[in-house]
Amino acid sequence: MKHEILGNPDYGQLSVELGPGESFISEGGAMAWMSDRMELESRMMGGFIKSIIRKFAGGESAFLVQYSHPTGGSVTFSPATPGTVLHRQLNGDSLILTKGAFLGCTSDINLSVKFGGWKSLFSGEGAFQVVCSGTGDLFFNAYGAVLEKEVNGELTVDTSHVVAWEPTLDYRIGGMGGLKSTLLSGEGLVLNFSGTGKIYLQTRTLGGLAGWLSPYLH
Amino acid sequence: MHIETLDRGAFSSALVKLSSGERFVSESGAMFRCSSNIEIDVTTKGSGKSGGLLGGLKRMLAGENFFFSTYTCQGEDGEVGLAPTLQGEVKVIECDGSRKIICTGGSYIGSTTGLNIDTKFQGLKGFLTGESISFVEVSGQGQLLVSAFGRIVEIDVTSALTIDTGHVVAFEDSLQYSAGKAASGWVQSFLSGEGIVLKFTGEGKVYVQSHNPSEFGSTIGPMLPERS
Repeated sequence: MKHEILGNPDYGQLSVELGPGESFISEGGAMAWMSDRMELESRMMGGFIKSIIRKFAGGESAFLVQYSHPTGGSVTFSPATPGTVLHRQLNGDSLILTKGAFLGCTSDINLSVKFGGWKSLFSGEGAFQVVCSGTGDLFFNAYGAVLEKEVNGELTVDTSHVVAWEPTLDYRIGGMGGLKSTLLSGEGLVLNFSGTGKIYLQTRTLGGLAGWLSPYLH
Repeated sequence: MHIETLDRGAFSSALVKLSSGERFVSESGAMFRCSSNIEIDVTTKGSGKSGGLLGGLKRMLAGENFFFSTYTCQGEDGEVGLAPTLQGEVKVIECDGSRKIICTGGSYIGSTTGLNIDTKFQGLKGFLTGESISFVEVSGQGQLLVSAFGRIVEIDVTSALTIDTGHVVAFEDSLQYSAGKAASGWVQSFLSGEGIVLKFTGEGKVYVQSHNPSEFGSTIGPMLPERS
């Protein structure tokens, strides 16, 4: 399989070239264009119940699509929002993706849906996270440009800017300083990450755009 | 007459340079600046035969404006700047007259006067594609200006290509298309989230946009307050 990411950071897209017998998994509805005679098969991520939960509580599509082509062909995928598409090679390690970040992966990557705990309900990064593990290529997307940061110690981030992180990092919800700064800084809740590992942050948030736009609607 | 596209990427626009007596046609509302010696006329007849009330109504079915703006340059050289509504690229398509260009879903922004702008009824097929029941059909020789949401990618179709609805900007009429299911069965197609796709066959160029505007709209829509 060959892959190419085009158009970053504004209009990132992923193009995948599949040989005969190879297959690729994507988030439902992400295909933009593809070779003729491509074979699509819908699959659920983590069983029926989890798929339904993911759909209604997580705001993601319930189904994943598996692509394959009898003689080889290509598929180009577009995220629903403009922004950056990222590639990460997993070699037995894993990565946690927040709501809406998963775009696609090679078929030997394991995907599981994880309830982020009660803290995730309040933090705005989505109650359900996708845990990606195994060996292969993983692709995910973000709204805006992406900052990759190696955390060694502690890092405080705004909840809605988190795209992905390595599970070697731990996090807890906090406010900015005391109650006063939490209310006045405009940051609301933040996540305090600690440990050693990589974190991916997006430079804009769709919720931020929607919030800015809202007062102008009538 | 010469068309330049400025600033590739999210905020591209077009600058049309006209010499004395030359005319340019755009969809109404696309102009954001022009020289003082440019005379602007708003009509239902841009260029070609598709004018009048009927022409305007037919264009509305194609997701375009009822009116055209025509710009006529008087005296010395002048320029007209055009900008689309959505963020994304603007592209000039050179038409040599050998093939007609079909523009979908409001991608047409303007054209030189040698081009005929007409509409082509698509019927149920057009409606199923999620575009519109009519497309803009461009024939003749000249330069055509189109806009898109995101990047514009030019693909040479040699036998067949499947494109998701919402990604087609324009295509040469040497290509045929049909609305069909993404997977082998209908259930699988809808579960895959793709639903109906466009299957292009034949030989010719198709221009696609990297992002689907209605998908972006329906992603941000639920985050906005309800309409009162």
